[in-house]
Amino acid sequence: MAPAIHYYCPCQSGESVQTPPPPHMASSSASFHPLHCLFFCEECDAVRCNRCVSIEVSGYYCPNCLFEVPSASVRAEKNRCARNCFSCPICRSTLQVVASDPPDGGDGRPSVSLSNVGEPPFFLYCNHCRWDSAEVGITFEKPTGLAAQLQKFEDSAPESLEFERLKEHFEPFLRTSSLSSSLSHVPSTSSHHLPTSSATAAASAALARDVPGVGKYNPLARSRVGRDRTANKDEMPEYKSRMEIGVLGQLGSEGDGSDVEALRRMELAEEIASLEQRWGNSWTTSLRTSDLRPLRIPLHSKVSKRCPTCRHILIKPEQKAQSVRYKIKLVAANYLPAMTVALPHTQGADAARRPQAKAPSASDDRNAGAMMAGKSYPFHLALTNPLYDPIQVRLSVQRMHVTAVTDSTAPEKARRTPFAISLPTSSFPVAAFAEAWEYDDDDDMFGLEDDELGLEMGRTRDKDGKGKVKTVGVLEKRANVTVVGGEVVIGKEARGYVKFNMLVSYTYRSDDPLPSEDGAGTPSRTVAKTPEVKTFTFYTVVDLGPILPREEKVDPDI
Amino acid sequence: MDAPVYYSKAEFIETDTGNKVSRRATIAGPQNIILGGKTIISSGAIIRGDLRRTGPGHAVVISLGRYCLVGEGCVMRPPYKTYRGNFNYYPMKIGDYVHIGANAVVEAATIGNHVVIGKNCVIGKFTIIKDCAQVADNTIIPPNTVIPALALFAGSPGRFVEDLPESTQEMVESQTKQYYSRFQPLER
Repeated sequence: MAPAIHYYCPCQSGESVQTPPPPHMASSSASFHPLHCLFFCEECDAVRCNRCVSIEVSGYYCPNCLFEVPSASVRAEKNRCARNCFSCPICRSTLQVVASDPPDGGDGRPSVSLSNVGEPPFFLYCNHCRWDSAEVGITFEKPTGLAAQLQKFEDSAPESLEFERLKEHFEPFLRTSSLSSSLSHVPSTSSHHLPTSSATAAASAALARDVPGVGKYNPLARSRVGRDRTANKDEMPEYKSRMEIGVLGQLGSEGDGSDVEALRRMELAEEIASLEQRWGNSWTTSLRTSDLRPLRIPLHSKVSKRCPTCRHILIKPEQKAQSVRYKIKLVAANYLPAMTVALPHTQGADAARRPQAKAPSASDDRNAGAMMAGKSYPFHLALTNPLYDPIQVRLSVQRMHVTAVTDSTAPEKARRTPFAISLPTSSFPVAAFAEAWEYDDDDDMFGLEDDELGLEMGRTRDKDGKGKVKTVGVLEKRANVTVVGGEVVIGKEARGYVKFNMLVSYTYRSDDPLPSEDGAGTPSRTVAKTPEVKTFTFYTVVDLGPILPREEKVDPDI
Repeated sequence: MDAPVYYSKAEFIETDTGNKVSRRATIAGPQNIILGGKTIISSGAIIRGDLRRTGPGHAVVISLGRYCLVGEGCVMRPPYKTYRGNFNYYPMKIGDYVHIGANAVVEAATIGNHVVIGKNCVIGKFTIIKDCAQVADNTIIPPNTVIPALALFAGSPGRFVEDLPESTQEMVESQTKQYYSRFQPLER
């Protein structure tokens, strides 16, 4: 695996602790994210990640026909596409509507030859596993509005009717609870999708508290029955189910007699529907694969994201479902310097050994990237400044907690810190980002880029060869990129990975606020009108790769 | 920082607009193929521009945008179907910043911008891939599938796995540009 740097989001640790967990613990990976997955809240001046932002649905669409479903009708359609989109009950791929006697006749379906070209009955056909809905007796007179035709079955299912009745039954009760907790009942728009929606949460909590056995009942709908506004909690009538429980057993949804009988006669494992195939169904269904029905495709949503503490919007997508643009997009990549890490000894070896190489084979790659115990290696950190102002960066390594190391599974191997990192101790500048470089890059990129790359390669190899050239310190500055060198000294008994937490703090001056660019993710920060120096600090984890134990033979190339 | 990817200068033809086409790629019907510029066609790729719509006049069969990469051993073939009893091929349109991994077979109708398709994928006939979507390595996308914007698809059959981060567009754009600049000739 190539060396990598991930950035720390403090949301997983407690209020008081602001330092990241030790990097060798498996659980630490939950707190570190690649830079491009992180957001940045300008109000709080803090990094936010996907785990901590709060999410609001800003629109629904069908992932297959890309129809944008108005949120008012989402609930009535039960969060699934109400047009012609179905997924295959066997393999979950999208079903296609085909006419009987397909025109080309040769696509592996010789069985249906009932009527003329493009004539009814129509049925659904899976392009992947060749399942078709005629097998289970579902055919259509028209090739349009299929969902409406199937929804009739769905809605008339006894379980569905029962559920509707239950909802109706609890409705007045819900209403009083939400009234008594003096919270306005949030209208139907998407509220049940949000765990944070206070009104629904309060309502369901109240319900769970007062009615034993209801547990985590999720208040899904207000029904249209507007009666009983004043109904008291004590006046709850007893619920009578629509039918006897025994009746449901006859529908094949209960694991007794008939199922055992069916299992006895089964010959192939495929005749039993797998858990995955039954997972997406709303109700318990029969075990038999032949009883599976096509499913309307669940809707997807576009979401806007908010900072969990100050509620400011970090991500606000455009209304159109398939647009990839955003009205508001505050991503961390526009604020924090992007860092990449490289091990020059692997690059040098790789390039020198096989200039023609297309793709190094996996084993080779691993060997080249690994570091031997008991040796020291230089590494390069490239910092790219996204801001329009130059920044001063200071790096420091977080001290490893030796106690934490000894806690790990093999205590004997780690009496002391397995490796030591040296980094430049003084701060160094990274020049400002300017659009001009981008254009430069775009137009005459060859000559320029070529030279630079060649140069860099040459220098790197020199350094490796002599070992006298300084490895720790600023190595290179170009455009808004500064490359600094560090060194890792690996102990003789070291095992595992060279992985360490690094504190990055950078200071920037914001003396000329850009008035025109606001909101939409402008890289420059408009903090104050007077020249001001601000410092921002964040943690990263640097993963340089595995350490090879000393016993293994030394690759002559390294 | 990244090391250049070298190719032998004799193998590739570079056009005025910066397209780099391997001599070892099979380009059938080149008059029906449009490359947007700075697009790389790797060795062993097969692009079937000859499978054109029947009928008179000029027909664009396959168009690729800028900064695209057609990986080694890829097969790009326009989709076909029989409609009202007539067999016909339909054009394939591919946007900018699209990378297609090695040994993929692509019969899509439309591929948007900033799309990444992994190695060994099969993209079925008339598939529509929207902007910034990604298909993981070794994925089989059945015919007529629609892959929405910013979705990651994987598996066989390919299914939705997760939403991609909001910055995917910038990421893919810089990666594809970087790849093109790293793709350098070696005199020999």
